[in-house]
Amino acid sequence: MTERIVVERATKRYGEMTVFQTLDLSVREGETVCILGPSGCGKTTLLRSMHGLIPLDDGRIVIDGAAVTSPRRNVAMVFQHFGLMPWKRVSENIAYGITLAGLPSAVCAERVRKYTEMVGLTGFERSYPYQLSGGMQQRVGLARALAMEPDVLLMDEPFGALDAQTREILQDELLHIHTLVPHTMVFITHSIEEAIALGDRVVVMSSRPARVREILAVGIPRPRTVASVIAHPRFIELRDRCWRLLREKAA
Amino acid sequence: MTVREAQATSAAATVMHRRRRIPASDWIVRIASIAVVLGAWQLAGPMLNPLILRPPSAIFASFFELIGTGELQEALWQSLREFVLGLAIALVLGILIGILSGRSRLFYNATDPLIGALYSVPSVALVPLIAVLFRSFDDPPRITAVALFAIFPILINTQQGVRNVDRDLLEVARAFNSSERRLWTDVIVPSATPFVLAGVRLAIGRALIGMIIAEFFIGLVGLGYLIIKYENVFRIDAMFVPVILVSALGVLMMGFVQWIEGRVAPWLRREH
Ligand SMILES: Nc1ncnc2c1ncn2[C@@H]1O[C@H](COP(=O)(O)OP(=O)(O)OP(=O)(O)O)[C@@H](O)[C@H]1O
Ligand SMILES: [Mg+2]
Repeated sequence: MTERIVVERATKRYGEMTVFQTLDLSVREGETVCILGPSGCGKTTLLRSMHGLIPLDDGRIVIDGAAVTSPRRNVAMVFQHFGLMPWKRVSENIAYGITLAGLPSAVCAERVRKYTEMVGLTGFERSYPYQLSGGMQQRVGLARALAMEPDVLLMDEPFGALDAQTREILQDELLHIHTLVPHTMVFITHSIEEAIALGDRVVVMSSRPARVREILAVGIPRPRTVASVIAHPRFIELRDRCWRLLREKAA
Repeated sequence: MTVREAQATSAAATVMHRRRRIPASDWIVRIASIAVVLGAWQLAGPMLNPLILRPPSAIFASFFELIGTGELQEALWQSLREFVLGLAIALVLGILIGILSGRSRLFYNATDPLIGALYSVPSVALVPLIAVLFRSFDDPPRITAVALFAIFPILINTQQGVRNVDRDLLEVARAFNSSERRLWTDVIVPSATPFVLAGVRLAIGRALIGMIIAEFFIGLVGLGYLIIKYENVFRIDAMFVPVILVSALGVLMMGFVQWIEGRVAPWLRREH
């Protein structure tokens, strides 16, 4: 399999503080890599650098063979804070990225329809974000990214702000969407279960300055659901391993 | 999401759409409160010192008297002209300077001390100076006075609105490769709009005060002149006609701005 994203000896500092140093990581075509790490270790910073939103101090990040310097059209991001515009209706929020990309309006309309349906929001096109529950709001954020029809999805704890039940529903839907459109995905999370359920590989990071502690191959076959992953014999073993890795560095 | 879930949430969404207006019971309370005050005022009429306050019925009679002679319409037209033009100037300049100083650090640092100083001087003290500056007792200095009174809340609120744009949304705009123009139309203008409109609401009250004060100091015209004229001859009932008109104008205009707010910023119409 070809490598889609390569992080090479990446270093990022904020003043005296080193967020991560000589970090190496690669993500293969069509693969989901979940990044687990303690709060404040620099996961968001890493994802922002992958999208070219902030510059690195050293090293580089390569996507499709070219170093990332600014956001690209074939990469889309889903935010922990949802990032919806309160003054835009659901359909306008979903259309945001593709209208900026300058697609013809007929194409935009068709994509909005398609991805509104894919995330289960048909019937809510004219609602405003405040009229939606948190789970539905993040569906909008997801549809906005999917509508770009990107090769790469960067997800920054997209379900972190949701309750456990809603979270599980959305995890299952994301697994389902992945069978329809096999994006390359980098998914940041605090939840060990989520990382194992969604990831082909789980990258466990150390606390700051962040380094890759260990990369675990999940090896649970797809198609998956959250329930099928939890029931899988490998799940407990993986969960304990992640748990121990995260605890060790806290000590 | 299951079909049933979707139907349930869809029903909830329709309910939310329907529940936006101010309920009738609110209006009943508002009108009743005014009626009670007016009623008490009327009943207390015989006990009032006629040099200080007259009952509503007397004021009402004077209202028609002033319309009959035509002086109320004339004064109202004069005052409205000053008010509308002055407020318009304040809007244009206030929003312009507010946007520039909210977006550009250089412009902010250059204007902030001046604006702060000017805002701290009681505007009343500047009104006679404006007449001197214009060497005239005509409309232009009065319009300028209205603009001076009205500009600060608009300017400061616009500035704050532009400066307080949600940083998360700015990041979203960057992540989706927004152009500078679309950044303004998608993010900055809509997020500043409620601030600007709140500033306009405050500006209306100040513009009306500026209008009356300018009419006192510069040339004696309009509703301000009517107030002075009837106060000097102890016709308190007639004096109250322009006073009440000015306050009604304020209430009306603020209601109008609130209505505009509901139209241009429907996302703010949440339930309480
Ligand atoms: N713009 C910035 N300027 C200075 N420091 C920053 C900036 N952005 C992030 N940091 C710091 O860098 C560190 C890493 O932040 P980051 O947001 O990447 O962590 P995180 O792993 O995503 O945390 P969380 O799990 O809580 O989201 C933190 O200590 C944070 O305070
Ligand atoms: Mg983060």
